[in-house]
Parts: sequence; structure tokens; C-alpha cells
Amino acid sequence: MSSTASASVFVVDDDAEVRAAMQRLLKTVGLHAEAFASAKDFLQRSMPPGPSCLILDVRLPGMSGLDVQRKLVAAGINLPIIFITAHADVPLAVRAMKSGAVEFLTKPVRGQDLLDAVEQALQRHEVMRQEQRDVAALQERYTTLTKREREVMGLLVCGMQAKTIASKLGMSEVTVAVHRGRVMRKMRAGSPVELGRMGEKLKLPRDNS
Amino acid sequence: MLAELSRDLQESKARLEEAQRVAHVGHWEWDLETGVVVWSDETYRIFGLSPQERPMDLAAVRAMVHPEDRESLYRGVDEDLVAGVRPDAEFRIVRPNGEVRTVHSVTPKRWSSMPGDAKRDASGRPHKLFGTVQDITERKRAEEALQGISHKLLESKARLEEAQRVAHVGHYYWNLTENRVIWSDELYRIYGLDPQEGPIDMALVREMIHPEDREFVFRAAEDALYSEVRPDAEHRVVRPNGEVRTVHGLGTVKRDASGRPYEMFGTVQDITDRKRAEETLQRTQLDLREVTQELRRERAYLTEAQGLTRTGSWACNLLTREIFHSSDENARLYGFDPSQGAIPFDRFYNTILAEDELALRAKLENAIREGADYDAEFRIRRTDGAIRFLRGIGHHNPSQEIGEYVGITMDITERKRAEEEREKLRQLEADLAHINRVSMMGELAASLAHELKQPISAAIMNADACLELLEREQPDIPELRDATSAMVRSAKRAADIIDRVRSLSTKGVPQRELVDANKIIREIAALLKNQLKQYSVIVDLQLAANVPKIMGDRVQLQQVVMNLMLNAIEATNKTGGELVVKSELTDKGQVLISVSDTGVGLPEGKEDDIFGAFFTTKPQGTGMGLAISRSIVESHGGRIWATRNTRRGATFYLELPQQISERA
Repeated sequence: MSSTASASVFVVDDDAEVRAAMQRLLKTVGLHAEAFASAKDFLQRSMPPGPSCLILDVRLPGMSGLDVQRKLVAAGINLPIIFITAHADVPLAVRAMKSGAVEFLTKPVRGQDLLDAVEQALQRHEVMRQEQRDVAALQERYTTLTKREREVMGLLVCGMQAKTIASKLGMSEVTVAVHRGRVMRKMRAGSPVELGRMGEKLKLPRDNS
Repeated sequence: MLAELSRDLQESKARLEEAQRVAHVGHWEWDLETGVVVWSDETYRIFGLSPQERPMDLAAVRAMVHPEDRESLYRGVDEDLVAGVRPDAEFRIVRPNGEVRTVHSVTPKRWSSMPGDAKRDASGRPHKLFGTVQDITERKRAEEALQGISHKLLESKARLEEAQRVAHVGHYYWNLTENRVIWSDELYRIYGLDPQEGPIDMALVREMIHPEDREFVFRAAEDALYSEVRPDAEHRVVRPNGEVRTVHGLGTVKRDASGRPYEMFGTVQDITDRKRAEETLQRTQLDLREVTQELRRERAYLTEAQGLTRTGSWACNLLTREIFHSSDENARLYGFDPSQGAIPFDRFYNTILAEDELALRAKLENAIREGADYDAEFRIRRTDGAIRFLRGIGHHNPSQEIGEYVGITMDITERKRAEEEREKLRQLEADLAHINRVSMMGELAASLAHELKQPISAAIMNADACLELLEREQPDIPELRDATSAMVRSAKRAADIIDRVRSLSTKGVPQRELVDANKIIREIAALLKNQLKQYSVIVDLQLAANVPKIMGDRVQLQQVVMNLMLNAIEATNKTGGELVVKSELTDKGQVLISVSDTGVGLPEGKEDDIFGAFFTTKPQGTGMGLAISRSIVESHGGRIWATRNTRRGATFYLELPQQISERA
């Protein structure tokens, strides 16, 4: 749990007793837990910098757990969610998991299950945050590219050869090679394969045409 | 000559002595100067002494006078002597043997004129006084006796008069020889005159007799005079003030030796009041006949009424088992033929079913012991074998003997059967209500499971937290305590939910108790919490604090509220929305509960149909929920209705009466 030392766990449940119990359990394992009676209250809170996760009751008055999940995604908040439900509702669980839920626990929840799920979620958040940081660095590098270089990179990550690129962009093969060299240097890519992965992470369009 | 004179004197003295002895008269001579008193022999005898037994003086005489008369006898004697007049005196003396005699003493009126009687000194005061004394004891007694007799005579006359007056009886004497009439005082009064107001004669009598009766009264009197017939006539008299009285005269005729009548004596009685009483009596008898006829008619009606109402009347002594009265219908109730005469107590009693007899006997014995009334229901087996329910009401008359009761017996078989039918119907209704509750619970099963899982989850997590805390080298005791208390709370909450569900699912007999409407709403809202959550329906409870408790069946009222709220949730679930449950006290003192939703609303024009059985708009509905709710509300004396909301949804109202007296 060393990785979770500065982590935050958010609990949203309309049942005060359940809320308090969860908070207490998390506290005993040294986690900082914040509890909310409604999704609305939670959504108003700004996200902390450290790793965090959300324990969310599927059924909430006024707004369902899935609605909350959608709203978070829409707001660009990438938070691992552990869904808690009173019913083993399979279709609901499937939908939740598809939407990126970490775990789907059924009440009554065993303490260890909850703690395991929380740990998993926090680790996942850590990974997610690392990835986010990587993408951000790549994007930083990507912004240093000239228009021509981006065009060349876009075609390179699609796996096109220099000759093809040259004809496509109406330039000489040598010029393409120069651009490629610059792109590789600016993006700090060791190999065309690595550059290709970077293109994926940057979600560059793969235009084969 | 002298000797002759002396002999004459002796002779006359002896005669005087003799005379004195016979008349009990003695004489005395009192020498006022010496105080010596000289008595004749008879005087000695009168005083109870032997003649000349001892010399007398004033002191000796005085000592013999009765102490009570002494003072008055000698009072004023000096003045009398000077005046020369000494009044006669009557006083008592006491003889030596203690006998008391009354004597009369006479002193000559004017002794100065009688030489030798009293010798006087120069001042005119006599030297001597002379007088006689007579023993009048016997005369006195005779007088007193006579007085007593005449007093008694007067008294008895007065009594007679009083008696006559009271009895309004007067009497008369009619002296036929002189044609003179004497009336007694009461007779005057009877004729409206003052007693002895004036002389009476036959002409006056004739005038005062009622003109219509005169003829025959005098003829009766004449008949009496010339025959052996006693005068006996009832006739009217007219008093001077015009008042007419009826009198009855009875007489006897007295005749002399030759048989000639010389006097008629008779009594006259005023019988006006008696006559009137007789007339009244006659009228009363007439009335009585009418009343009897009336009674007979009424009795006939009563018999008819008893037959119609299957009610018999009776009077009997439950202790002695004596029947004083038993109406025909009373006999018929037990299957007996009333025309066959009186039925003994035991024949009635033996029809009572053995299983009811014990309780009835205990009740009767208790009533007899306490002298109280009783009201009992029991079954009998009639002579035709039919089992009938009877109700006997006995009224104990406290003035009567112990065990004496009057009462009625009613055949309540039909009523009992109807009651049984109603009871069956009630049971059916209760069963239906129960089915409704159970099916509602089924609908709620998932929700309730969720509701139960909340506290269980909380408890498990708290328990895990405890275990975690206990693992530490230094357990955090306050935190452990908090976690444990939280577990207890959760467990209790779970138990409460189970209780609520169980109370709604049990099949019980409807009971009346004081129920808090607000509490019912809160409980049902709590039970439906998950249902509301599932359909994202927000509930708003607007409960007035002044809502009084109502008399009702808690489970049934919970059921009604639950039906209404479940309906509202169902109506709202597709659109989501709000549910408002209100309670209030109306102006008329009724408790009004309303459940308002923002759902699909009521089918147009069918606001009343929805309460009918099997009316449903829901695919899985039984259509019984609202019908059962209405029957429950009506059994509580309330009403239930629904209205369409102006904007969206519908509102259901539930109005229940509350008894102020029962208010807690």
C-alpha cells in the first residue's frame, strides 16, 4: 500500500450508515476517504493531484451511478470507479465495466474485497496518470514539429515508405528523409516502430489512402 | 218554777246537743282577752276529740287547722273584729289521727246587735266571739262527685256532638202533641244554618226540603206515624245559599200506652259526599270496564307484536323456578303450544343446549346473588329439533323477593346467522386484504432485500474495520467502540425492517387502536425508499404536526397508504418525478392524507371507476389494490377519492374520522 500513501478515496452513497462504515474501514488501512451523500455533491468537488478512486452506489436518488460515470468522462476526469450494487444485475455490470469500471461489488460487501478493489483502482489510476503524463510529453514534442514534419510523421506512422511519401507530398525522397530525421530527433523516437507507437498514443489519424 | 225552768233548759240543751250531733254542727266561744276557747261536745267530735277532753285555747285550735289553710283563716281577723263583720270560712282541719276534714265556720253577721254574743269594750272591740262549725266533708265529697259526673256528662255530650259533626249526623225530636221540633247543632249545620240559629217548625222544614222531594218525605213521615213502617228517606235539602245536599233520614216513633204516637225521634245524615263518592265509583267502574277493554285490545296488539318480533315476555322466580307469567309467544319461542296451558320452568330450561347451560347458569346465579339485571344469549333445541339462538333479558325488581325477575326473550337466530354471514364476509375481505399485502410485498421483495442489505453491509464493513483495528499493536479503543455501536445500530435497523415487513405480511384479525397517521406515512415511505430510489422518484413528506391520532387498524391503514404510494411510484416511474404525501387536520376535525404524483395521471372520466374491483391499467395488476383500500377506508368510517392534477399526475385523498375523545 506504499503507493497509496497520498491517495484519496471518494465514497458516494445515500445511506449514511454505509457511508460511515466505508469511511471507517478505509481509514483503518490508512486511506484518506471522503464521503458524499449524492453524486451532485461529489461532482462539485475539484479533483486532487494524487492517485484517487471512486466508490459509487449504482442507484442514487436523482442520478444513477452510470450517469455519474458518463458525466466524469465528459468532464475529462479519468477516475477509476468501483461500483457497489445491492443486486447482482449482470447487464448493468457489463455496461459499467465497458465504461471503464474497475470493479462491480455486490452488497453486502466484504471488507477485504472492497480494500482489494480500492488498491487495484488506485494502482490503475497511477498507471493511467503515468500514461497521461507520457501522452502529455509526446504532445509537447509533437507541438515542436513544423507543418511539413507533422505531415511526414502522419504518413510515417501509417507505415508508408519514403518514396511513397515523396510522391504523395510532391517532394523529393531526400527531402522526406531529412524531415523524417528531424521528426525522429524531435520526437525522440529510437526507431520507426517506436514512432509508430507514439503516433498511436497521440491518436494520429491513420490515413492509408 | 226555777227547777222547771232549769229542767226545760237542760232539756233544750240536750235537744240542741242532739241536733248538733245529727247535723254535725258544733259551736264555739272564743274569749278574746284570755284566748280561752270553749267548744261544744260536737265541736270536739268534729275535731276528732272526745267531748270536753281538754280545755282549748287559740293556739291549740290554730294547731289543728290544716297548715295550708291556717294563714288565710286568721288573716285580717283584727280588722274584722273592729268592723264587726267576720265572713264565713271554709277550711280543713287535721284530726289527731291524721284524718283531714273540711269544716264550715259561721260567725253571726252582726254580733254587736246580738246581746251576749259578743261583749264589747269601750273601743267597740268585742271581748268574746261566738260561732258554729259544721263538718261538711261528706257534703263536699258528694259535691265533687256530682261535679265530676256532670263534667263527664258534658264531655260525652260534646263528644257525641263532635262525632255527629264529623259523621254529618244530626238528630231531632218532634213533639207531635205540641208540634214542636228540636234540632241538634249538627242538623242546623246540615241545613246550612248556624247551630240553634232560631226555632224550627215543620213549615220551615218543609220549605227547606227540595221541592221535588217534599211530597214523598212527608208521605213517608205520615206512613211512619200511622203504620209500623220506620221513617226512612233519602232526599235533598236546599240550603239558604242555594246549595243542594243529599241527606238520609232515619227515625223512630214513640207511642203512648194507647198506641198514639206522641214523639218522633230521628237522625239525619248528610250523605252528599258519600253519594258523590258512589257516583265517582260508578263512573270509575265504568271507566275500569273501558280500560279493561282497552287493555284487552292492547294485549292483542302486544301478542301480535311479540309474534312479529319473535319476542316473548315472562315473569318468574329463578330461585324457586316458579313462573308467574309467560306470554304465548314466549312459549312458541321454545316450540311449545301455548294453548296447552302453563308450561313448568324446567320444561323451558331443559331445552337449553348443554354447552351453553353452564355459562348461562353461572350468569343467572351471579345476577340473583347481586340482585342485578342480566342479559344473556344462549341456544336451545326446540321440540321440533331446531337449534335456535335466544337472548334473554331479565330485570330484577328490587322490591320483590330474591330471584324474582321480569323479562323478555327474543329469538335472535336470524340476526346471529346474518352476523355469521357478515363475519364470513369480513374474513373474506381480510383474506383479500392480506393477499393484496402479500402481493405488494412480493412486488417490493427486491427493494426490501436492498433495504436490508444496507445495514448488513454497513455492519460487515464495521466488523472488518474492527478486526483490522484489533490487529494493531495498540488498538484504537474509541474507534473500536464507535465501530461496534454503529454495528449495533445497523443490526437494529435490519431488525426493524424485518418487523415492518412481517407486520404487513401477517394475516391478523383487524384490530382497533390509536394510530398515528404521520408515523404510518413515515414507515411506509421508509419501506418504499428503495422502490423510490430505483425509479428515481423523490418523495416529499409534508406532515402536519397537529394531526391527532385516529382509531383504526394499523396494518390496514399502512396497507392503504402503501397501495397509494406504490401506485404513485408506478405512475411516475417512466417519467421520473416527485411524490408529495401530505397529512392535515381538516376544519371538520378529520384527518386528511393526500398522495400526489407527477405521473401519467388518471384515465379521463374514470376517476371513480378506479376504485372498482379488477380495474387496472397495469400489465401485472390484480385490480384489487384500490378496491381493497376503499373497503378498508370505509370500514374506518372514512372515504377515499382521486382527482386529476391540473398540471401532471393525480392526487389521491384519504379522509379518516377521528374521535376527539380518543385523542391521545
